[in-house]
Amino acid sequence: MAVELKGRPVVPGEARGVALVSKQSLSFLGGVDPESGIITERGHDLEGRRVEGVILCFPHGHGSTVGSYVLYSLVKRGVGPKAIVNMRADPVVVVGAVIAGVPMVDQIDIDLIEDGALVEVDGTKGTVKILREKPR
Amino acid sequence: MYLTKEEERILEGEMGWAYQTAMKVLVKLGELFGATRLIPVRSAHISGVSYKTIGDAPAEFLEEIVKAGGVAQVESTINPAGFDPEHVDEMPIPEEFRFKQSRIINLYKKMKIEPTLTCTPYYIRRPEAGSHLAWAESSAVVYANSVLKAWTNREGGPSALAAALIGKTPDYGMHRAENRQAEVSVKVEPELKGEMEFGALGIYAGNVLKGRVPYFTGLRSPTERDLKQLGAALASTGMNSIFQYGAEHKKELEKITVEEADLKKVVEELSTASEEPDMVFMGCPHCSLEEIKNIARLIGKRKVKEGVKLWVCTSRYVRERAKAYVRMIEAAGGHVLCDTCAVVTWLRELGVETLMTNSAKTAYYAPVLNKVGTILAPTSKCIDMACEL
Repeated sequence: MAVELKGRPVVPGEARGVALVSKQSLSFLGGVDPESGIITERGHDLEGRRVEGVILCFPHGHGSTVGSYVLYSLVKRGVGPKAIVNMRADPVVVVGAVIAGVPMVDQIDIDLIEDGALVEVDGTKGTVKILREKPR
Repeated sequence: MYLTKEEERILEGEMGWAYQTAMKVLVKLGELFGATRLIPVRSAHISGVSYKTIGDAPAEFLEEIVKAGGVAQVESTINPAGFDPEHVDEMPIPEEFRFKQSRIINLYKKMKIEPTLTCTPYYIRRPEAGSHLAWAESSAVVYANSVLKAWTNREGGPSALAAALIGKTPDYGMHRAENRQAEVSVKVEPELKGEMEFGALGIYAGNVLKGRVPYFTGLRSPTERDLKQLGAALASTGMNSIFQYGAEHKKELEKITVEEADLKKVVEELSTASEEPDMVFMGCPHCSLEEIKNIARLIGKRKVKEGVKLWVCTSRYVRERAKAYVRMIEAAGGHVLCDTCAVVTWLRELGVETLMTNSAKTAYYAPVLNKVGTILAPTSKCIDMACEL
């Protein structure tokens, strides 16, 4: 049976996809290339990975509020994440998710989500279901 | 969070996508931070203007808002941009950057937002004490709350824009009296001489306060100019939106003492360069009329050195009112630039490697944002360095 994690609904909507999980906070301005969706922040544990089509899981955002617009651009260009899961929602990421219409849940212990796992996010109910661990 | 019938209708999309999106942003932030309702704001000040700082991403969102008919409902102003179109000789910015910068400014204009292009909108219209605002630009936020006694949260670009479109903001944080109270008493031991030392105090306090509201004692009759530098620097190293100051605080608070050595260390650390500067920059935050007058007076009959750029940055509004002093500065070989500043423009592309400034905020940011070496020094020393003997 799938494990269901209960968090807080932030932005409504549902999405299913592969989890991209970071232990570090993320700044969309300067940290993610708005054209390609590749994480460019030097030394970040997701440096070089793409946010396109994934369920993006990270503790919380940091950095400039322009980051909200970067998230919007990524989604508009089709290289953005399908959903966002945070431990603690911060205004930059929340505003970005709201204007881009990306389902978002927070207050989730993301240490319980393995990078590469198949997960289902329900931004209306505030849940994250782990459907399948990373294929080995 | 309580919403009126009208606010609910906007949230449901009756007024179109632009207002619906703006309302969603306000409601979501309100819920996140425990607001009870939306309150009207007197004005909005929006950051996210310089193409150098923000790149291409925001323009796409702003364009959609314009297309959907979004227009500001309250007096709204914007932060500085990447260049001064009337000084392109002094700022030879590539055509493509200028085009993209103009596009961003035009999008704001279409939303009926005034292209003030300044970080000191309070010199254009001084908000009344007790009025509620939705301002971005951290230095203006601290100044509004602490010096002008207006009430504003430290908004980001998008949330200030949302507040401009709706004319309201959620009533959390700085909009509540209990959150504006001092939590730590900061006793300033040395007598601060001039705005640069106030800036150094701000950098130091921002680092040690960890977001708590300070009550500064020992500031001997500070000018508004001093307090501007204190607040701008405080907001750079701390997440502060407000400071208090005066004689002894009535309540027993945790005490921090700032000694002369602490500030000396800050000034040393913010001076990363040992070379002579190729630019001397004043006007972070943008100069007041009084500051421009002071700079003109300090220059006197001297000329700016060959090979040194002297930049004095302000708003068009203030420049227009400071004409006589602007002429004196320009006759000496300096430049009084509007709409922009050294930090939000392409400094390296202009050939600048070492920047001297009286602004602790600039000295804090320029090495990272502009990749230049910095020297932090008092105003008179900056002018002496810029001018021939």
